[in-house]
Amino acid sequence: MSLRGYAKTLLNEVRPDFSWTRSVDGRRETISGVTGAVLVIPQAITFAYLVGMPPEYGLYCAVFVGFFASLLGNTPMVGGPNTAMSILLALTVMPFAGRGSPLYIDYVLLLSVVVGLIQLSIWLLRGAEFFRYFSPAAIFGIKMGVGVLIITSAVEGMLGLAPLTTQFFYEKFYIVIAAWDDIVNPYAAIVSGVTVLSGLLMRKSFPRSYIIAAVLIGGVTGAALVGFLGPVRTDIELLGRIPFQLLPLRLPTVTSEYLLVMQEVFPSAVAIAVLGLAQSLVIAQDLKSHVKSQVSLGREVFAQGASNIIGPFFSSFAGSGSFNRTSVAVSMGAMTPLSGLIAAVAVAAIAWSLGPLLTYLPMPTIAGVLALVGIGMIQVSEIRRLLRSSIDGPVFVITILTVTFLGLKVGLAIAVLMSLGFFIAGVSKVALVMVDQDGVEHIQVTGNLFYASLDALAHHLREHPGANSVLDLTRVPYCDSSALAMIDAIKRERLKHGGRLEVMTAD
Amino acid sequence: MTCFLVACSAAALARPTIEELQARDFLDDYESNIVYGYNIVMETEKYAARYVGNKLRCTNCHLNGGTTPDAFPLNVAGLYPQWRSKNGVRNGIVLRIRECFLYSHNGVLPPDHAPEVLAIAAYINYLSEGEVIGKRPQGAGVPTVPDTGFDPNPARGEVVYKRACEVCHGADGAGTAAAPPLWGPESYNAGAGMNRIDKAAGFIWANMPLGQGRSLSHQEALDVAAFVKLQLRPFDPREGRLAKLAERIWLRISGFFGAEQP
Repeated sequence: MSLRGYAKTLLNEVRPDFSWTRSVDGRRETISGVTGAVLVIPQAITFAYLVGMPPEYGLYCAVFVGFFASLLGNTPMVGGPNTAMSILLALTVMPFAGRGSPLYIDYVLLLSVVVGLIQLSIWLLRGAEFFRYFSPAAIFGIKMGVGVLIITSAVEGMLGLAPLTTQFFYEKFYIVIAAWDDIVNPYAAIVSGVTVLSGLLMRKSFPRSYIIAAVLIGGVTGAALVGFLGPVRTDIELLGRIPFQLLPLRLPTVTSEYLLVMQEVFPSAVAIAVLGLAQSLVIAQDLKSHVKSQVSLGREVFAQGASNIIGPFFSSFAGSGSFNRTSVAVSMGAMTPLSGLIAAVAVAAIAWSLGPLLTYLPMPTIAGVLALVGIGMIQVSEIRRLLRSSIDGPVFVITILTVTFLGLKVGLAIAVLMSLGFFIAGVSKVALVMVDQDGVEHIQVTGNLFYASLDALAHHLREHPGANSVLDLTRVPYCDSSALAMIDAIKRERLKHGGRLEVMTAD
Repeated sequence: MTCFLVACSAAALARPTIEELQARDFLDDYESNIVYGYNIVMETEKYAARYVGNKLRCTNCHLNGGTTPDAFPLNVAGLYPQWRSKNGVRNGIVLRIRECFLYSHNGVLPPDHAPEVLAIAAYINYLSEGEVIGKRPQGAGVPTVPDTGFDPNPARGEVVYKRACEVCHGADGAGTAAAPPLWGPESYNAGAGMNRIDKAAGFIWANMPLGQGRSLSHQEALDVAAFVKLQLRPFDPREGRLAKLAERIWLRISGFFGAEQP
């Protein structure tokens, strides 16, 4: 691509595309946007808890990252806080500051800017193409691994424990079971149990709104326990007032010490950026068949990166497109980014006006929602489908095991490597069809001829150096210099032995 | 050895002031928590909004950010863990801070790992530098008002209140720009330490009217404390708000049907 064409493409993707305004069904988009906003509020609070930030920051993320991603993109993809990114943000910043302290908040917001910058660099390098080679099985493995991680990170909140740190996720369950009588707050366990059970029971009949219903039932249970027995005896952690502001402007702190920390966490920042883009682009890819307007992956990458850079200036941590929110929006008839814009504005309006109602929402209920989200990410039918395939099955199993046992970062790296490996294995497959035509051997080659795929052909041609062959390369889309050199060398060898090799090309 | 001790005490004296800390462009986790804790103590409704339920700030009782003796100074980190009759268990500094939010701030009981609570704990540690661990610092808590031989008299307290307190705290006790509310929905609840006449009288005698501490007589301080205690305020959260409400509704209903009231 010429430099001029490159600049033109970039400019084209930077300029917001409002062509969707011409054919927009305002009513349907509004209904879908407002519904999405109601659904995201418990999730946003939950994800803020996952990141280790005060709850209002999750709402800010749903509002501002969602708003800018929809403004700059042109799909009905709904953006906001994301599970896998939230887990990684917390794990990355935890070694440098205490959860939720002012320094911690500063680091998370600065890290989010770095994540956005990395995503923009990926955009400048035209990296959207790369994500197409991400194996869907690996993405499902990551998603379900994250589901397991989320369920384990909900354990403390559900049972009213102080945060536990363990090497492997299953140790936490062991500790809880072994020391149940000493450490578990039975009231918190009742509230979270009611939340999770009611959610699971209602999941079949209300697939869209079961989380809201679970929050209501769990919240009322908790409020009743606290109200009748008192906060001291129950010791159930409550959400407290959310000091939600409509314009939480904030300048991320940058000093040399902060930058040193950012340098140290840079590999994690890359992992977070890649995770965000991978998920957003899978959604965008899915939407291609659904929306009328042209879906440009490059534009979506730019929208994600830019919204993560702008977000921290509005007190938001890094986010991405959301699988479950987008699927709800699309199922309610969203076709354009308008529903995402309306959802962002509606989240702000609802949080601002109904914030005080959330004061007495018990944290065990929020942790229960976290567990429900995690359970929702583990889809048994999907696992069955993947395990039936001989390639997708192992990729999926390896990814999910590395994510759960070695952590998200390692899991992501393994998933990328395996995707690339299978891609290369697929590309370097070359089919040879030999037909004997009046003593002349006609060899038709189908596939790419390059250094990694030459062996079979070279072996075959060198078997009978005195033979007379025609090499048909009309079905070879790509032939590198090493292949040409090899063919030339064999031509010479054949001439020496009295054989011949003729080459047929497409042009 | 003496040299070493002198060096130690000099180091203790040389601890940075809050202003110096705020002026630095990088604070480590502990220092940033000290500043955060100081901010919470001075502007509780802004920095610990999550757990506060009224208009009181910590510094309203812990005067001058907890640095004034005889006004519940906060240099008491060395006194905890401590058994307290209030809840009948050994209290760490964290539990002690959490209870302030529940009773004095009439708010939500924060969890023991809440960043706000840990920040205040850091600030208390910072103020306690140089104190002897386990030894009560000079002017800890409030002075005990001696036995005057008379019971606290709220009627006379009202007279004192009108004369000395009303200017700043308002006729309805709801506070003004100059002073915090003393009763009503925006003040501490019935479970707070300030709702005990002995504590309140000691605080009033030593510090009130602000800037003219020790100007009231012991008896006047006791009377005013009794008057303030008798006013309406949020009830003790230990009883459970819904349980209390149900009890009141039940009393109303049973009274309506002529049943005997307990």
